[in-house]
Amino acid sequence: MSETKYLETHEWYIVDGDNVTVGISDYAQGELGDIVFVTLPEVGQEFSKGDAIVEVEATKTVAEAYAPMNCVITEVNSALETEPELINNDPVGEGWMVKAEIKEMDDSGMSYQQYESFIS
Amino acid sequence: MSEIKTTSLYDFHISKNAKVIDFAGWSMPFSYDGTLKEHHYVRESAGYFDVSHMGRLRLNYSQIEEINYLICSDLKNISNTKALYSIFTSEEGTAIDDVIFWKFEDDLILICNASNTNKIKTHLDIHSINYEDLTSSTDLIAVQGKNAIDIISNIMSVPDKFSTSKEGKYVYARTGYTGEDGIEVMLDTNDTLAFISELENRGVKPCGLGSRDTLRLEASLPLYGFELTDDISPIEAGLKWTVTNKEDFLGKDVIDQQIESKEHKHLKRFKLNAKQIARTGTICTSDGVEGIVTSGNISPILGYPIGFVLFKSNPADDLVEFDIRGNLIEGNLLYKRFLS
Repeated sequence: MSETKYLETHEWYIVDGDNVTVGISDYAQGELGDIVFVTLPEVGQEFSKGDAIVEVEATKTVAEAYAPMNCVITEVNSALETEPELINNDPVGEGWMVKAEIKEMDDSGMSYQQYESFIS
Repeated sequence: MSEIKTTSLYDFHISKNAKVIDFAGWSMPFSYDGTLKEHHYVRESAGYFDVSHMGRLRLNYSQIEEINYLICSDLKNISNTKALYSIFTSEEGTAIDDVIFWKFEDDLILICNASNTNKIKTHLDIHSINYEDLTSSTDLIAVQGKNAIDIISNIMSVPDKFSTSKEGKYVYARTGYTGEDGIEVMLDTNDTLAFISELENRGVKPCGLGSRDTLRLEASLPLYGFELTDDISPIEAGLKWTVTNKEDFLGKDVIDQQIESKEHKHLKRFKLNAKQIARTGTICTSDGVEGIVTSGNISPILGYPIGFVLFKSNPADDLVEFDIRGNLIEGNLLYKRFLS
């Protein structure tokens, strides 16, 4: 498994062979406040880099998580349907959103250090 | 723009790791432990809010006739121990501000929205009503929640609901903006930290404007700038119960005509059976009548999205279709309050 990378739109992703796991960063969940609803995609749905894949409703505002690369959804974290607060409590762990098969590798995300200086 | 204002508790809020936001020209705590947690503190136990940004003006009983002419409620004839929610109306019958009056034997306090303090002061000036602005010399702390009255009774004597009291350094009324019982206390800025520490020692948690908003929405209470504006009358906002002023008042003819004809905008409550929140500005239609959402959020207690919507006229049907970012989401109008 490769290192966790971050996007300027505040998603994180981890590449594992042909697959990628995607969620939103700790910074993003902190900015959103309490997350109350998560709308996940369907398994088999295809996304291009930059497409909105997940919609997150929080008490403060609504946000979308975008695809880090071209991919096809293979699994969604259905626990988020009933426990959206997992994203607040553990955004880069139990709060993961989707797993997907990579259609076109794009590993251009920032390292954690780069992301940290990006958000500070 | 003038400089951003802070209440006397600003450093205290920062020391409690509050997230602060700019609200109506004030830097105010948005949340401490998170909006949902704070919402539940109030529904299940008790929380306190720094609402010192709200305007506090001392008025004179000698001008009660003139004051009564500017609001849609009967302030003059209720007893001098009462708190009264009312609305300053314009000549067009629309809301200049919604406010609370605290009546005491010797004193009359007007509490207005922070965003409207200057507007209210100008309005009073135009009508030659004198006031003393207490906003910067005092704080206003709201103590709200299921257990708030039990807790507060250890600190001061508790008046009846919607009644006022003065005791030592505390000037207060049994009022609030959360749907729970509680009191709102005005006190000298030098006394506030000691009072808060008494609350905290009894388990009352600090709450920010985030939970104040979800609590008031869930309690079906309007917020000026959203459900009430310079363009919306008390009747249109569903606040006909506030129109108790039997004498002449500013905008009375328009308001009477709206009551009579029922031909006016209509504010309604709605719920969605969806995982989307219809937020402020969301367009909807019901039975061909167009509406716009004034406030929307999750109801933390009910677990589904709720809100207020303002229709151009009274829709005949209770089904509504909301356009949420291009998706049509169905909802229902509610004829009762969100929480029973």
